[in-house]
Amino acid sequence: MISWPPLLVLFVLTPLVGAVLTPAVSDATGRRSWEWAIGTMLLTSAMAGALIMRVLDEGPFSYVVGGWVAPYGIELHFDEFSASVAVVCLLGLLAVVFSRHYAPAALAPERIPYYYTLLLLNITGMIGFIVTGDLFNLYVFMEILSLSAYALVAISGEKTAEMAAFKYLVMGAVSSLSILFGVGLLYALTGSLNMADVTMRLAGSAKAPLVVAFAALTLGLMVKSALFPLHIWLPDAHAIAPSPVSAILSGLVVKVGILGMLRMYQIAYGSGAIDLSGLNLMLTWLGAISIVMGAFFAVFQDDIKMMLAYSTISNIGYIVMGLGLASSYSLIGATVHVFNHALIKATLFLGAGALIHQTGQRTLSGLAGVGRSMPFTTAAISIGAISIVGIPPTAGFLCKWYIALGALQAGQPLFAVALVFGALLIFVYYIRMVNAFYFRKPQDAGASAVHEAPATMLVPVLVLATLCLVMGVLGSLPLSFIEPAVARLLAPLGGG
Amino acid sequence: MKRALTIVLLIVLAAVLLNAVAALPPHGSPDTPAYTHVGAYYLEHGPEETGSENVVTSVILNYRGFDTNGEVTVIVTALMAVIAVLTGVRDAGNRPDTDATHVEPSVVVRFIVRVLAPFILVFAVYVILNGHVTPGGGFQGGTMLGALVIALTLVLGERESAKLIPQRPIRIIQVIAPLTFVAVGLAGLIAWGDFLSFPRDEQLRPVAEAMLVLIEAGIGIGGAVVFARVFRLMGGRS
Repeated sequence: MISWPPLLVLFVLTPLVGAVLTPAVSDATGRRSWEWAIGTMLLTSAMAGALIMRVLDEGPFSYVVGGWVAPYGIELHFDEFSASVAVVCLLGLLAVVFSRHYAPAALAPERIPYYYTLLLLNITGMIGFIVTGDLFNLYVFMEILSLSAYALVAISGEKTAEMAAFKYLVMGAVSSLSILFGVGLLYALTGSLNMADVTMRLAGSAKAPLVVAFAALTLGLMVKSALFPLHIWLPDAHAIAPSPVSAILSGLVVKVGILGMLRMYQIAYGSGAIDLSGLNLMLTWLGAISIVMGAFFAVFQDDIKMMLAYSTISNIGYIVMGLGLASSYSLIGATVHVFNHALIKATLFLGAGALIHQTGQRTLSGLAGVGRSMPFTTAAISIGAISIVGIPPTAGFLCKWYIALGALQAGQPLFAVALVFGALLIFVYYIRMVNAFYFRKPQDAGASAVHEAPATMLVPVLVLATLCLVMGVLGSLPLSFIEPAVARLLAPLGGG
Repeated sequence: MKRALTIVLLIVLAAVLLNAVAALPPHGSPDTPAYTHVGAYYLEHGPEETGSENVVTSVILNYRGFDTNGEVTVIVTALMAVIAVLTGVRDAGNRPDTDATHVEPSVVVRFIVRVLAPFILVFAVYVILNGHVTPGGGFQGGTMLGALVIALTLVLGERESAKLIPQRPIRIIQVIAPLTFVAVGLAGLIAWGDFLSFPRDEQLRPVAEAMLVLIEAGIGIGGAVVFARVFRLMGGRS
C-alpha cells in the first residue's frame, strides 16, 4: 500500500473531493460539514503519513498522471522537502477541530459550509503545490490556494476584513502574474514544463531572459511570503481573518513562497545555467531587514493578532536569510524553521483565537490578567512565545542556531548578529504579552469572570504547544531528515 | 515627483523586459525549443496515442489532463469564494435594493432573447459535445450556456428566472466539473491502472471517446452554473 504509485495523486484529490462535497453534505447548523471536514483531513493525514514513510524508506519518488512518460505528462514528485505536507495536514486538521465552536460564533450560518470548503480547498492547493513536479501545475495549485485564502480573509463579512482581503487580492494577483510570466519564459527557453526536464535543458540558454525569469519568480514568490518590502498586505489580512484562518495563513500559506523558492533553487543550482549569488545576497539582506523590521513593528502593537502578524514577517526574514546564505547549515535551519514556525505560529494564533472567543477582547490591555481565568490557554501561548524567541529547549532554538551557524559558515558573521538582535526584540514583545496575561490586574470585573475555552479549542492549542516542546527536544530528527535533500540541492555548487 | 519617478521606473523595467524578450528564441521559428521538444511530440504522437482527433484536446484532457482538473477546481474555488462572501449578509439594509433599480426590459429585448434561447442552447450543447473533435469544448460551450441563463434572468423577472437553476441539487451541480473529472480519472485508475488514463486499444476507442465527452459535459454544465450563480449572487439573488 505504501509504495502503491497512484497514492500520490489520490493524496491531492482526497481533500479536493472532500472540499467540493462539503456544502452538499451540510445541514442547517453546519455541524455535519464540520464532521465531514474532520473526516477528510484524517484521511488526507493518513495518506501523508504513508507517503512520508515511503520517502524515508526509498528516497524521492515520482508519479506521472495518466500513465504518460515524464516530460509529456504531468509528473508529481515527492522528496524530503515535500514532507512539509505533514505540517500542512496537521495544522489543517487542528484548524478544523478548532472551528467547531469558533465558526458559528464568527460567521453567518449560511457561510459555515463554504468556510470548510474553502479551508479544504486551501489545503488542497498547498498539497498540490508541494508535491507537483511541473511548473504550470504548480501555478494552477497556487491559484487554488490563493483564491481560497483571499475569500477566507473576507469571510467574516466585516468591512475591515473585506478591505484587508481586497488588498491581499490585489497584491496576490500581481504576484501570481509575475510567477506565470517567469514560468512562461522558462517554457520559451526549454520547451518543457517538467521541473527535472527544465533543469536538464536550461544550460546554455540566453542570459537576459533567464535572469528576468528567475527575478519574476522570486518577486512573485516573495510577495506570497511577505518578505520586506513586499509585506504590506500581510498584517491586516492575517490579523483580521478568523483565528483558525490566521493560523493557516501565517503558519502555512506564507511558506508556500519559500517552498516555491526551494523548487526554483533546485532548477537553478541543478542546471548551473545561472549564477544566483547576487540574488542570494539581496535575499540575505532583505531577510535581515525583515527580521528587525517585523520585530520592531510588533513591539508597538496593542492588538494581539496584529503583533503575531508582524512576528510572521520577522520569521519569514529568518527563513529567507537562511535561503540566501546558501550554506548547508543555513538551508537546513531554514527548511526546518518552515516546519517549526508553522507549529509555533499556529499555537499562538489558535491560542489568541481562544482568548478572543472567550473574552471578546483582542488588545493586550483588554486581556490583562487573563492568565488567572484561562490558565491552560495562556500557558500554551507562553510556550509558543518562548519557542518563537528561540530559547532552548523549544522548537525555535535549533533552527535559528543552524541559521546563525550557516551565517558563520558562509563567512558572514554580521548576519548572525542581525539574527540575535532580532531575537532580542522578539523577546521584548513577547515579554509584554506574558506580562499582560499574568502580572497585570484585569481592567474590569468581566475579565475575571471568563471561563477556559471549550475542549475543541483547548485541545488543538495544547497539542500544538506540546509539539513545540517535543520538537525542541527531538529537534535533531527533522534536521537529519532534511539533510540529504539539502546536500543534493547544494551538490552542484561544490558541496556548499 | 512621484509621477516622474514612476515613469522612470516603468521605462527602466520596460527596457529590461524588452531586452529579455529580444533574447528569447525567435517566436514562430520552427527551431525554437517550444516547437521541437514536448510540442513536437504532441503533434507527432497525439492523434495515435490519445485517439483524439483534436490535438488541443489531446493536450488538455490527456497529456495534461491533471492541469485541467486543477483549472476546473480553480473556477469552482472562485464560485465558493463568491458564495462565501456574498451570502448571509447580516445587514441586508446595506445592499442596494434590487427591486428599486429594476427596469423592465423592452419588448424587443424580451422577444429576441426568447426567440434566440433555443438556438443558443443547441449551439452550446453542440460545442460541448464536439469538444473532443473540433475546436471548442466544455469551457466554451459552458460559457454560452451560462450566458444564456444570464440573458434569460434579465428578461424573465425574479420568480421565473429562479427556476432556471434547480435549487435542490445545486450544491452538487455547481461542483459537477471537478467531480466528473475525478470520477472519470478514478475509472481510468481502476480499469487501466493510472489516474486519468484512457484505453489505448483501437477497439476500445469508443470507450475513450465516451470518457472524454463525459468530462467535457461536466466542465460545460459546471462552468455554466458557475457563471449563472456568480451573476445572480452579485445581483443579490440566491
